[in-house]
Amino acid sequence: MRKAKDYLAKILIYLSSFITVGVLLAIIAYIFINGIGLINWSFFTNEYNDKTYYLQFEANKLQLSDNSYKDNIPYTRNVINNDSEPLYIEELGGAIIESKKGSDIEFIISYVEKSSSMLEAKDRRGEIVGIKEGYIIRSINGENIEDKNLEEISNIVGDIQGNIELKVTNPGNGVFTNIITTLYMILLSLSIATPIGILAAIYLVEYARPGKLVSTIRFATESLAGIPSIIYGLFGMAFFVVFLKFSLSLLAGALTISIILLPVIIRSTEEALKAVPDSYREASYGLGATKLQTISKIIIPSAMPGILVAVILSIGRIIGESAALLLTAGTVSKIPENLFSSGGTLTVQAYYVAKEEANIEMACAIGIVVILLIIILNLIAKLISKIFNKANY
Amino acid sequence: MNLTKNNRTDKNRKETFFKYLFLFCAFVAVISVFAITFFVFARGLKPFMPWNDSGYSLIDFLSGVEWRPGSDKFGILYMIIGSLLATIGAITIGVPIGLFTAVFIAELAPKKIANIVRPAVELLAGIPSILYGVFGLGMIVKILTKYSPNAQGQSLLATILVLTIMILPTVITMSETAIRAVPSCYRDGSLALGASKIQTVFKVIIPAAKSGIFAGVVLGIGRAIGETMAVMLVSGNPIAGIPTSLWDRVRPLTTNIALEMGYASGTHQDLLFSTGVVLFIFIMIINLALNKLVHNKIK
Repeated sequence: MRKAKDYLAKILIYLSSFITVGVLLAIIAYIFINGIGLINWSFFTNEYNDKTYYLQFEANKLQLSDNSYKDNIPYTRNVINNDSEPLYIEELGGAIIESKKGSDIEFIISYVEKSSSMLEAKDRRGEIVGIKEGYIIRSINGENIEDKNLEEISNIVGDIQGNIELKVTNPGNGVFTNIITTLYMILLSLSIATPIGILAAIYLVEYARPGKLVSTIRFATESLAGIPSIIYGLFGMAFFVVFLKFSLSLLAGALTISIILLPVIIRSTEEALKAVPDSYREASYGLGATKLQTISKIIIPSAMPGILVAVILSIGRIIGESAALLLTAGTVSKIPENLFSSGGTLTVQAYYVAKEEANIEMACAIGIVVILLIIILNLIAKLISKIFNKANY
Repeated sequence: MNLTKNNRTDKNRKETFFKYLFLFCAFVAVISVFAITFFVFARGLKPFMPWNDSGYSLIDFLSGVEWRPGSDKFGILYMIIGSLLATIGAITIGVPIGLFTAVFIAELAPKKIANIVRPAVELLAGIPSILYGVFGLGMIVKILTKYSPNAQGQSLLATILVLTIMILPTVITMSETAIRAVPSCYRDGSLALGASKIQTVFKVIIPAAKSGIFAGVVLGIGRAIGETMAVMLVSGNPIAGIPTSLWDRVRPLTTNIALEMGYASGTHQDLLFSTGVVLFIFIMIINLALNKLVHNKIK
C-alpha cells in the first residue's frame, strides 16, 4: 500500500517536471519553427512598412568595376533559388535580378556601383533619397515593366535620353525601426531608473535606521513590484501622456518603465550592498574617511558586479515589457525623431502583427530575436555573478 | 592630502546634502505608489461622481453584463467573473504542477538534472508575456478549435491554459526556496522514524514550507489576474455574456483596458480607468494578503 502510494506520487512529480520542461521546449520550438523562415539579413535592416518612391537620376555610363558582384548579392528574398543571374546595366551603374515571389516576378536591384548616380537619386521634391541594393523596381520613366524580362529592361534603359526616373519600393517586413526604438527605450529608462534605484538602495542599506520611514519605503517598493504592467500603463497614460502632455511618446514610455524597474533595481542593489563585508566599512572609517567617501570609494566599487547584474536583468525587463508601452509609447513603426515621438518596441510590434494582422510568422520571428537577447542577457548576468562570487571576501 | 585642505563645515554640508539626496531617491518609490493610486482612481472614479453630468451609474457599471460603448452600455460584471474564473482555473492546474516540479528540483532530482530544470524555469520566467500569447494563439487556440463546439478556439479554457504556463515559474521558484529553507534535521528525523522519502516530502517538508508555498500561490494569483498581453490574444474578448462553460469566450478586466484605450475618449475612456480601479482593488487585496503571509513567516 505504502509502496503503491509512493510510486503514484513519484509518477506525478516526474510528470509535473516533465510538463514544465516540455512546455518550455514546446514554446521555444514553436517560435523558432514558425519564425525562422523570416529571419535573414533584410529582416534586421528593413523597416516594417513598404515605402515607394519616384526617384530621378542622371544616366550613368559606368563600367562594371568588379566581376565578383554576381556571387555577392547582399539582398535575398527567401526565394534565392528562384532568382535569376544578375544583369549589369551600365546606364544604371548597377545590376538587377529577376526574383519570383509567389506567382509575381519582381525586379530587384542586387548591386550598385560605388560611384553610381543612383545613390544620389532625388525624389520629385528634389530631396536625395538614393536607390540602394534591395530596392524593387516598379516602373521606368512611367513604363510598366511587370511583363518584361531583364534584356528588355536593359534595352528600355539604354534608349532613355537624359534623366532616368524609377518607381522603386523599399521593401518592408523588417524590424529595423523597432530595434532602434527598443535601444532608445533601454538607454532612456535605464538612465532614469538606475541612478534613482541605486541611490535609494544606498539609503536603505547604509543610512536607514529601522522605523516608520523605512517600513513605508519598503512597503512601497513591494507594492510597486506587485502592480501589473497594465496599471502602470494606465498611470503613464493619465499622468505622462495626458496630464504632462507628453502624448504617446518615447519619453512617456521610458518614464513609465523606469517606475516598473525601480523595485527590481533597488532590491538587487540592496543585496549587492549588503554583501559587502562590514570590515570594509570599518577599515575605511578607521583611515579617517567620511561616510560619503566610504560609500563612493569603497562600497560601490565592491558592489559593482551585483549592481551590474541588476542593470542587465532590467534590460531583459524593458525588452519584454509590452502592456505598459502599448498605452504610453504607441505602436507606430517609425524611427522616433525625438523624445516626444511615438514608437513601438520589438515586443509591442510582435503584439501588433499578431493581433491586428494575424501574422503569427512575423510575431514568431520577432520572438526569436527577443528570446535570444534574453538568453544572452541571462548568461552575461550569470557570468558576472560567478566572477563576483570569486571576489576575495 | 585633499582631506586636510577641505573645510570641515563644507564637508559636513556635502555629507548632509547627499544623505538627503539618497533619502529623496528612496522616497521616489513612495511618491510613485501615491501618484499611481491617485491618478488611476481620480480618472476611474470621475464617471461615478454625482456632480458629473455625463457620468455613469456605479451600480450599472458593476452589475452590467454588456460592454457596448456605441450604445452607452458599460457593464463589467461578466469581465470580473471571467477574470476570476480564469485565475481560479490557472491556479488549480498550475499550483500542483509547479509544486511538484519544485519538489523534484529541490528533493528528488540528481544534481545534474536539477541543473538543467532550474535554468529552464528561469528562462520560462524571462520569456515576455506577448510570446506566451503568440504561442497560445498559434498552438493552443488552433488545437482547441478542432475540439470546441463553438466556431473559435479562443475561450476560457485557452486563457486558463496560457495563464497556467505563465504562473508556473513564480510558483516553482517560490516553492523551491521555501522547501530548501526547511531545516535538514526535519528530513533526517522523518527518515530515521522509518518514513519513505515521498512520505517525508508530503507529510513533513511541504507542511513545514507551507507559508512560503502560499506566498508563491498568492504571487501567482497576482500575476494571473494582472496578465494582459498574452490573455488578450487567446480569450476572445466578447462584448457581452457571463461565461458558462470552458468553451465560452471571456473578456478579462485587463484586456478590456488594453483593447480599447487606443481609441476611447470621454466617459468611455474614464470607464476604462474604472475597470483599472476594479483590477487595482483586486491587486491590493492580494498584496495585503502577501504582506501578511511574509510577515507571519518572519515571526
